[in-house]
Amino acid sequence: MSENPLLAPIHGITLEDYSAACAKIGSGLSEEEVAKALGVELPVWQEANLLWPERMKQDATYHIITLFGQYFGEADQHPKFLNLKPAVSAEGTGNIDKIKADKDFYQELEVARQVAYEYGLDGAQWIMDNYGIPVGDFQIAASKWSDQIHQDIQANYAGYNQQQDAYRTKYQQLFAAAQGGNLADDISF
Amino acid sequence: MSQEENKRTLTYLERLKQKAATQENYGGEVVKEDAKMKVRDCPECGAGRAYQHGLTACAYCGFVFMDVKLTDGVHIKKENNS
Amino acid sequence: MFSLFQKKYNNPALLEKIRETQERWFTFLGKLEARMEEMSTAAIPELRDLFNQDNDPYKRAHGHMLQGLLGQINQMRHKANEAREENIFCFVSAAEATLPAITSNAGQEYHNALYAFRMACSDRYHLFDEKLNHHITLLQKAAGEQDLEAIYREELTIFENIRDKFSCKQCGGNITIPQMFFIATYVNCPFCKTQNTFMPSTGAQLVLHQARSLAEQRTAHLLHAYEESVPKNETLYKQYLRAMFDEWNKIVPDMAGENEKFYQRLLNDHLINKLK
Repeated sequence: MSENPLLAPIHGITLEDYSAACAKIGSGLSEEEVAKALGVELPVWQEANLLWPERMKQDATYHIITLFGQYFGEADQHPKFLNLKPAVSAEGTGNIDKIKADKDFYQELEVARQVAYEYGLDGAQWIMDNYGIPVGDFQIAASKWSDQIHQDIQANYAGYNQQQDAYRTKYQQLFAAAQGGNLADDISF
Repeated sequence: MSQEENKRTLTYLERLKQKAATQENYGGEVVKEDAKMKVRDCPECGAGRAYQHGLTACAYCGFVFMDVKLTDGVHIKKENNS
Repeated sequence: MFSLFQKKYNNPALLEKIRETQERWFTFLGKLEARMEEMSTAAIPELRDLFNQDNDPYKRAHGHMLQGLLGQINQMRHKANEAREENIFCFVSAAEATLPAITSNAGQEYHNALYAFRMACSDRYHLFDEKLNHHITLLQKAAGEQDLEAIYREELTIFENIRDKFSCKQCGGNITIPQMFFIATYVNCPFCKTQNTFMPSTGAQLVLHQARSLAEQRTAHLLHAYEESVPKNETLYKQYLRAMFDEWNKIVPDMAGENEKFYQRLLNDHLINKLK
């Protein structure tokens, strides 16, 4: 059985290595720190960082990108990154753990982040300012909860939508209040 | 359109613009850095890394710079393995 | 006779309510449109200014302001949808339930009135929706595009000026950078043969990120020709795609090999979609 050539390591950096490294960069590590953790120098990491996405672009089966998402979600368990922690506040650490352990907390903050953009804010920065959670950890949580959320939608579509709408309304009100209301608040039928 | 409504719109726009222009963007501002040259000598014996001896190990003392097998990349090729 | 046993349905209050509700609906949508147009008209020059004054290569400030404006337009759309649900749909359902069967003559005038009301309200809503979409497009296009060609040419000039000004970190000998690099790259000293590491400037790194966008800008007229063709002329698409990739490869020649594989993928995907 021949192996998929698209999955072969690039400069010794496997897809698992690459995916975890991307997650860690999203969590606050620099490219230099990530290269060092993988045991390579910056030029080697940067070539892998160019070439792994090329493999994904060439793969019409979406297999590589699916695996990337899965390994991204498992970044916290990757042996080469276990001892590396980006600088995060104590409150941040608590919230980072919480979005990965509490599905409702993750879903609510995911909606909050999206609604923030609809009000002209940098949603990712808003989450960072208010919860100390970096984007990379959000994406790790998204990957972890993906299957469970799909099951929830299948099992109870109406219930899922209701919950999402409730979160949206809450944050729309929050952000609208912060900007002095929505522009058309004074117009009613 | 009334003066009152016009003021409402303009106030909203001004606040939106200010927020957009001044808020911190996630990831920070892009710091414009110049090109530069660096070198990594062998930390064990101080020798420089010569092209014909490859990138991954020191030709003189065997110190391993990178414990990986380089493949054919963009500029880095298999030949660059020590 | 059939008609002797049917009382003619008479409800002038309902007709008045229909007329009044329609008028309120038109007025309501008119007010939302006026507010939206006022916002959009005032915002367009602001978006342009913000884009042009922003030194951020990713133009994030402009992006956030645009999203905020689109968010408000969607709020208005949401408001209209809710009002439609509560005041038009519910009203029509409730009113129809009180009328004699549509198959009889008795309530014919009222069924017709409700039907005309529904159509008028629906048409007015579609007009509102079109206006929103029109302004969404205006706002999205307000700032225009970055002059990627000028940015690229500047980087080429900067590179020509610096390429022979580097020294080997080991022996001090002069190193000329052989070509424009966009990522950290090993460069050999011609004198002592030491491997140095060349770190490109932020500007050079951005050329790589913006390469495809620049290639798309250069070939936009070819894509436009394909999109305007009726029926769709697939030869025009292939011409555009090949030309775009050729431009892309001119900007970052080191990625040409990988780009070719991606080109094949895009071509295949496009052909598969056409066969569906």
